[in-house]
Amino acid sequence: MADEEISALLGRVALRDRDAFVALYRQTSPKLFGVCLRILKDHSEAEEALQEIYVKVWQRADRFATGQASPMSWLTAIARNHAIDHIRARKPVANAIDEAYDLADPAPDPERSAAVRSEGRRIDACMEELEKDRAEAVRRAYVEGLSYQELAEMFAVPLNTMRTWLRRSLLKLRECMER
Amino acid sequence: MTTQNPESGDFRRDEVIAGEYVLGVLSAEDRRKVEARMASDRNFAAMVDRWQHNLASFDDAYEAVRPPAHVLAAVERSIFPPAPVAAPPVGFWNSLLLWRSLAIASLAAVAIMGASMAGLFSEPQSQPLVAELSGEGNTINLVARFDRTSGSLKLTPVAARQPEEKSLELWLIEGSNPAISLGVLPQSGEGELLVPPEMRTKFIEDATLAVSVEPLGGSPTGLPTGPVIASGKARHL
Repeated sequence: MADEEISALLGRVALRDRDAFVALYRQTSPKLFGVCLRILKDHSEAEEALQEIYVKVWQRADRFATGQASPMSWLTAIARNHAIDHIRARKPVANAIDEAYDLADPAPDPERSAAVRSEGRRIDACMEELEKDRAEAVRRAYVEGLSYQELAEMFAVPLNTMRTWLRRSLLKLRECMER
Repeated sequence: MTTQNPESGDFRRDEVIAGEYVLGVLSAEDRRKVEARMASDRNFAAMVDRWQHNLASFDDAYEAVRPPAHVLAAVERSIFPPAPVAAPPVGFWNSLLLWRSLAIASLAAVAIMGASMAGLFSEPQSQPLVAELSGEGNTINLVARFDRTSGSLKLTPVAARQPEEKSLELWLIEGSNPAISLGVLPQSGEGELLVPPEMRTKFIEDATLAVSVEPLGGSPTGLPTGPVIASGKARHL
């Protein structure tokens, strides 16, 4: 399905066009339902989440800026964020961002550039530079919305080890993509 | 969140937190802190956007699953509640007095603009055509700019950020012919409509562009039904 078509539908939804909203729902809801099912792992919770997600899409359609992101990525981000909020509320995890971060390897700050949009899909190449299990942990965290605790159990490593894995992997990915 | 001032801060830690947010591993409370920081710190928000953009290629892992039909019905029920029986609230867009005065003002504006623009048409055809669409004494103005080669018609509506009950529709009027709809204007920011090829020849200097207020989604009849809030004649830039 062409991005342009979804962008056009989003534009009409921003104008409160109900037919366009239904058309957008019909075209995009299977993917977003897939997101909800994968993260929430419960059919009725996924249905409820999907309903709330499309209410948000209706409310936020006017914030979608054509050309800024793919419309499908934009919609998927709304769905992921909603589903992740839902599951974090259901299964709370420890707060962490006010704690110390063990990032190690303090390389000099790479030159900061504003080349935010030019990286394309190089993430795939950079993922291959990570150790296999860490790349797998990064991918599963994203796709399944797993917490550090769940990832630690899945990979049979201590919680803090998993935190360090993912945080250092994020830094390596960032450094790889800025190369 | 004890992260530093965005100008002096530890970029690496911020990058990691932005990445953790997009991955989804943070707690609910930490997610709210990150969102609060995004709202107040543009550099940090750009980091989150960049991760979002980078990691979106993992979205391919999500398989499409058709949801049951009742979900759409539930969505529609929450977005489009049955119309209330009570009289609608009298807000800016619903004020009859406003529409009357706008309509009168815009008629005056048409006359004034028509008169003031006579004799302006001497530029070559390749230049873009522009029209300033205004209604005197109101706050709604539009600038329309037509590029003949691409057929694109750019509009900058100042009627953005209005409540959502109404749509603004753009019309092209040639001489005394009935108005032809050019489409419904985007409600926010700069609008751009693509003029259908068969209509581009009608887009000539002296043609009148007008904007009317219509029910949501545009005129139900194909002709303007609401008050004209702005109009102007096309001329060469």
